[in-house]
Amino acid sequence: MDVLENYKKAWSKQTEVAEKVSTNEIYKMAHSKSSSIVKWIFIVGILEFIFWITINIFTPDSYSFFEIYKDLNLETLINIFTILHYIVIIGFLYLFYKNYTKISIADNTKKLIHKILRIRKTVRNYVYYNLAIIVLTSIIINIVVFSDEDKMNKFFNPENLTMSINEMITLSVISQLIALVIILALFWLFYKLVYGILLKKLNRNYKELIKLDS
Amino acid sequence: MQKDLEIKFLADFEKNQNIAHKICRLYTTNNDAHKDLFQEITIQLWKNYPKFRGDSKFSTWMYRVALNTAISLYRKSTRKVKTQDISDVAFKIKSNDYDDTEERQLKALYNAIRELNDIEKALIFLYLEDKPYKEISEALGISSVNARVKMNRAKEKLKNILNP
Repeated sequence: MDVLENYKKAWSKQTEVAEKVSTNEIYKMAHSKSSSIVKWIFIVGILEFIFWITINIFTPDSYSFFEIYKDLNLETLINIFTILHYIVIIGFLYLFYKNYTKISIADNTKKLIHKILRIRKTVRNYVYYNLAIIVLTSIIINIVVFSDEDKMNKFFNPENLTMSINEMITLSVISQLIALVIILALFWLFYKLVYGILLKKLNRNYKELIKLDS
Repeated sequence: MQKDLEIKFLADFEKNQNIAHKICRLYTTNNDAHKDLFQEITIQLWKNYPKFRGDSKFSTWMYRVALNTAISLYRKSTRKVKTQDISDVAFKIKSNDYDDTEERQLKALYNAIRELNDIEKALIFLYLEDKPYKEISEALGISSVNARVKMNRAKEKLKNILNP
């Protein structure tokens, strides 16, 4: 007989006295707050939406930014951009919410993990989108500025320091690149930390489940 | 209506709570974590109970929800983890004879299963609970063939841990 069969027999004979809880306790537990991974992914996702929307709302509103856009004759473009941008954000929020409501704990395990990871992917794409917008906006502004020496002076050298154009271009590009690298590094760290903790187990179990199918 | 549902749920769950306890014993290593996971399972069961249509048995549905909670939703508690083992009372055997072989076997079995990964734990647990392959593959979302292959590997691994 298979050695495991003996153990199985012992398994089937175990009693339930040890941790048995009363209906009263079950009632209390059922009404307490969940601290599941899904809940945390949802909360972190919402915080990320709030974070980027806050940045979107406050940055263009600051006087200096509008002045810069005005100076650069980018006002109309920026306005169209902003409207499109908000439509995209609403789209992301809708997807995020829809994916969240699709989660059912009674699904099979593979499907469940897949759906949970999809919520996270929606948020990740949303962050990618925002980062892309930042990079794209800077590139557009750079192109417009660099194409016009007066603008360039006004934009990058408001103090009128004596600098050659080449120096100015090099300096501005380098400083922007440094800023970009720092921002990306901070995001990367944040993501490694927050999602690393939240998703480690899910990713591991999901891989385990699809390993055989591949 | 809500009240009726609640009463029914409490009765169903109370009767089948051992399923959840066994899963908690396999997926956690101390009493605090056990209680924590048990509570999360209770929350998930209750939250999803209105969607449980009764086209399957309550226990079948509960296996799924409880395992999914352990595998996919449960985050190790941030509370201070005590290194204390699950008390030996958890491994009591239904028997009048004075013979502790099966009790020792059961304890060894629990300890061995804890060394497996989350998916293997689920497979072995469902095997010990005498679930057919069809139900196992449906619960995990893998094909019957894959469930069999994976089960055999998990069993081998378990045997090696039990009898190195």
